[in-house]
Amino acid sequence: MRHGRYPFVVGFLAAPVLLYVVFVISPYLQAFYIALTDWKGLSATPRFVGLENFTRLLDNEAFWAAVRHHGVLLLAMPLATIVIALLFAFLLNVGGGQRGGRMTGVRGSKVYRVIFFMPQVLAVAVVGALFQAIYRPDETGVVNGLLAKVGIEPVGWLIDPDLALWSIIGVMVWQGVGFYVVLFSAGMSSIPKDVFEAAALDGAGRFTLFFRITLPLLWDTLQVAWVYLGIAAFDGFALVQVLSVNLGGPDNATTVLPLEIWRTAFGPFRFGYASAMGVALFFMTITFAALTLRVTRRERIEF
Amino acid sequence: MATDTEPKAAVRAPAAARGPRRRPGDTPGVFGTLSHLALLVWAILIIGPILWTFLASFKTNTEIFGDPITLPASFGWDAWGWAWEKARIGRYMLNTIFVVACSTAGTMLLGSMAAYVLARYSFPGNRAIYLLFVSGMTFPVFLALVPLFLVVRNLGLIDTHLGVILVYIAYSLPFTVFFLTAFFRTLPTSVAEAAMIDGCSHTRTFFQVMMPMAKPGLVSITIFNVLGQWNQYLLPLVLLTGNVEDRWLITQGVANISVSAGHEANWPGLFAALSMTIIPVMIVYIVFQRQIQSGLTSGAVK
Amino acid sequence: MSNSAGTPGDITRRQMLRRIGMTALVAGPGAGLLSACAVGGSPAPAASSPATPSGGAISAANPFGVAADAPLEVVIFKGGLGDSYALEVHEPLYNKKFPQAKIKHVATQQIAQTLQPRFAGGDVPDMIANSGTNLMDNGALQQEGQLLDLTELWDAPSIDDPSKKVRDTVAPGTVESGYIDGKPYLMNYVFSAYGLWYDSALFQEKGWTPPKTFEEFKTFAETAKSAGITPFAYAGKNAAYYAYWMILISAAKIEGNQFLIDVDNLVDGVWQRDSMKQSAAAWAEIGKYMDKSFEGLIHTEVQIRQNQGKIALYPSGSWLENEQKSQTPKEFKYALAPTPSVTAADKMPYEAIRAVAGEAYIVPSKAKNPKGGLEYLRIMLSKEGARGFTEKSGNITVVTGAADGLELSPGNASVNAAQNAAGENIVTYSSFENWYKEFETELRKQTNALMFGRISADEFCAKMQAAADKTKADSSITKQNRTV
Repeated sequence: MRHGRYPFVVGFLAAPVLLYVVFVISPYLQAFYIALTDWKGLSATPRFVGLENFTRLLDNEAFWAAVRHHGVLLLAMPLATIVIALLFAFLLNVGGGQRGGRMTGVRGSKVYRVIFFMPQVLAVAVVGALFQAIYRPDETGVVNGLLAKVGIEPVGWLIDPDLALWSIIGVMVWQGVGFYVVLFSAGMSSIPKDVFEAAALDGAGRFTLFFRITLPLLWDTLQVAWVYLGIAAFDGFALVQVLSVNLGGPDNATTVLPLEIWRTAFGPFRFGYASAMGVALFFMTITFAALTLRVTRRERIEF
Repeated sequence: MATDTEPKAAVRAPAAARGPRRRPGDTPGVFGTLSHLALLVWAILIIGPILWTFLASFKTNTEIFGDPITLPASFGWDAWGWAWEKARIGRYMLNTIFVVACSTAGTMLLGSMAAYVLARYSFPGNRAIYLLFVSGMTFPVFLALVPLFLVVRNLGLIDTHLGVILVYIAYSLPFTVFFLTAFFRTLPTSVAEAAMIDGCSHTRTFFQVMMPMAKPGLVSITIFNVLGQWNQYLLPLVLLTGNVEDRWLITQGVANISVSAGHEANWPGLFAALSMTIIPVMIVYIVFQRQIQSGLTSGAVK
Repeated sequence: MSNSAGTPGDITRRQMLRRIGMTALVAGPGAGLLSACAVGGSPAPAASSPATPSGGAISAANPFGVAADAPLEVVIFKGGLGDSYALEVHEPLYNKKFPQAKIKHVATQQIAQTLQPRFAGGDVPDMIANSGTNLMDNGALQQEGQLLDLTELWDAPSIDDPSKKVRDTVAPGTVESGYIDGKPYLMNYVFSAYGLWYDSALFQEKGWTPPKTFEEFKTFAETAKSAGITPFAYAGKNAAYYAYWMILISAAKIEGNQFLIDVDNLVDGVWQRDSMKQSAAAWAEIGKYMDKSFEGLIHTEVQIRQNQGKIALYPSGSWLENEQKSQTPKEFKYALAPTPSVTAADKMPYEAIRAVAGEAYIVPSKAKNPKGGLEYLRIMLSKEGARGFTEKSGNITVVTGAADGLELSPGNASVNAAQNAAGENIVTYSSFENWYKEFETELRKQTNALMFGRISADEFCAKMQAAADKTKADSSITKQNRTV
């Protein structure tokens, strides 16, 4: 195994590393530098201003609103997605009870799985445009039209400041659940059947099966899901941009950091300031990823 | 709507699960009915909006801004013609297929090469390079947009599909490398060692022994990348400017119609364009759904 | 815009335009005009623009010395005005003059996203219609030295009458409305009247007349409401500025145009003056008649509802009629009403309307063919160019008399009538929208909050004053100043 080893290693790494450094690392490094300048994105010579952009962030209301929203997104979005996806995955795989000595899903589980996954293949731009019509605030919106049929007043899904963020979270969950149903299903099917059968023989109900067997054995998969969803919770740009009132409104109720960055960069061209927000976002994301991996680290159950 | 029902569905979970405690592990009763109901509601929530979009493409502006729960008065294809010709959805779709095919292939090749080396060979700097790649997963793309534009432009690749392909590959590498490194580590070392003893070079071992063994992981991450790149919105917006409208990708096209609908008020056209982007993807998905689903997750749970 | 030359309508329009100039001059000592003249006396110093690449000879017909074979890139915001006016009128006119020049036409709705990176990279087009929701911040562009001073254009001979300067062929006040830092960087081309738009056919049928005071407005609102029609509405999702225009117009009517100048100059306490508080309070009252759902709609969605006869009064500018052309039912007739008077002691009468030059066209200073860009603008400002624009876009331009003889649409006819009625009482422009983008964003936010009843008029004024103070205190934002 020693033979021609380094040339091989170098040969295999050269192209990917080069590409990555040129197109990913170098722009980010530049961005970190830009955050310390007052660059307007137009002139060749940015002026160095030290930490001024960061101190300016301190009394930027919209920035802090966005940070709070990432907090909400980070808790609610993964939680809702995972709970719903777990429930459905359980129903689709084990929920049918025993049949011929095997645990099976409820009838039609294959069809359900196909349907649930569908939103995953739709571009976010498409999903945003679609939900514009779904959430329209008067009775011409799809949801409000349905509510009107049963005599309920139209709900301001995206215009009620207390509801708007949740409506957008709803779209994220709508789109995300399918993927995690499939992910958890795969996880469940990799749990040896005899584990379930043995438990069922011991008289364990579905409740016990779920909490005592499925959940602990899925811990690794859940952790992966949480990280994926958490990283998604730091984005949300496309949906908020298309759906929210007055870009991130009403009254900052839906704004997220990518939107503030975009607004600051492409409105008044304050690239230095926008980059400072980007740097803040970077540290938040990386802290989340590190924390999650640390906190959720648990002994892996081997079968 | 989604927000409205999710909590309900979530609440239903423990209730449904609690049901069978009295009648452990037998044929569906109340539990079965409830679970079917939950599944059915969610299925309707998914299909409803998609179906509505499709129907809206046949409506007139007035119908779209009337009662949402009606069928269109007549089924004409005007809006579809508009979306195809004026909004050039077909063109954008072909562009996107070309770009995504190239960039996914490139991502897989370069990503698996890097991941293999990082997973199976120890050399100074291994850990550093691995972390360099993996940390890329947490970078907000926004931060890099303008410098990225400058880099691409200085290379003379702005407004070209090659530029987009290279950037897509670069931005897909972090996750691909992260995922495949973990995957290659799980593969048994004995086969590769045997191959080496038989005189296979490192390169041949990789392509002829390891790649086939890693197939489930590769398929999974390929699909992941195809979906991710197909849906990319921000990067093409910056890399393919308004100068080269005929090279635009599908998400740009859709976003553009979405904005124009604000000015030209052609709402049926917007929904026709949306349907056009949805339908082929749906067909591909339904045909390959088994592979997509199993592929997408087989690696992720390793 | 107007009937054939010599008809009363035509004369009044010219008089009216002269009067706008009057008001503009009365408002300040005309310093802007003077300084502009002082700077740009001769066409020779094209200081900021790079030397003409292959240098065309300067002649009477080619005052900027455009190289005949230099390619020209034109970027058009494809919004309410469409882009056919450029594609079918101005670009062919340019090509007629310079047949070897290859013109690249780019139409987009996303001006900033498309162009910002190009500015960063120094690869910029030669002329830009900088407009729409996603327009670039002209103030920032100017600060970064990216805009070409248009003094040369305004002092060049007019295409129609070489004995006149271009500046003398446009509505007075036009040049000044494009000032940044005391120099004309923007060519504001489209002449727009702002106020409350309604369907005169519907009003006639119902026997309604637009309200003249806010007291009447409330009575009217009750009447309309009982007829099942929303009395007043705007689109909160993307057109909050339609509403703040009305609030600013009302405040200017109370206090006079000096108010708008003070707002632009970030004068201490301007947002907490009585005029502003009264205006905000009056409009907030009207906001109560608006369904909450309008906050979640975009402007075309609201406009469609007006076309369907569900909304009585809609705040907008005179481009509205053309923007809605394909959606408007045959019997629908657009008409413009001035904003109602707030108090009996208003400085300006009810008839006063806001009529200003808008839609900025710019030439980047680092363009490859800036001379071509200037010449393109000069062609736009020719009678033929302006007339073609009006025919294609349905909007009138700042070029005096260019639309003579064109048939008037109902909306344009009513603008004409409103302008005649307004006489000298013209509410002028605001520049903060071009100068302080973040402040403008805040104003959109707070306008929605005010109009949809989440904050009181006092809170609105306090918040906007705080935002103005913050802008003023922010050392990284270059301050602008205007005197007219």
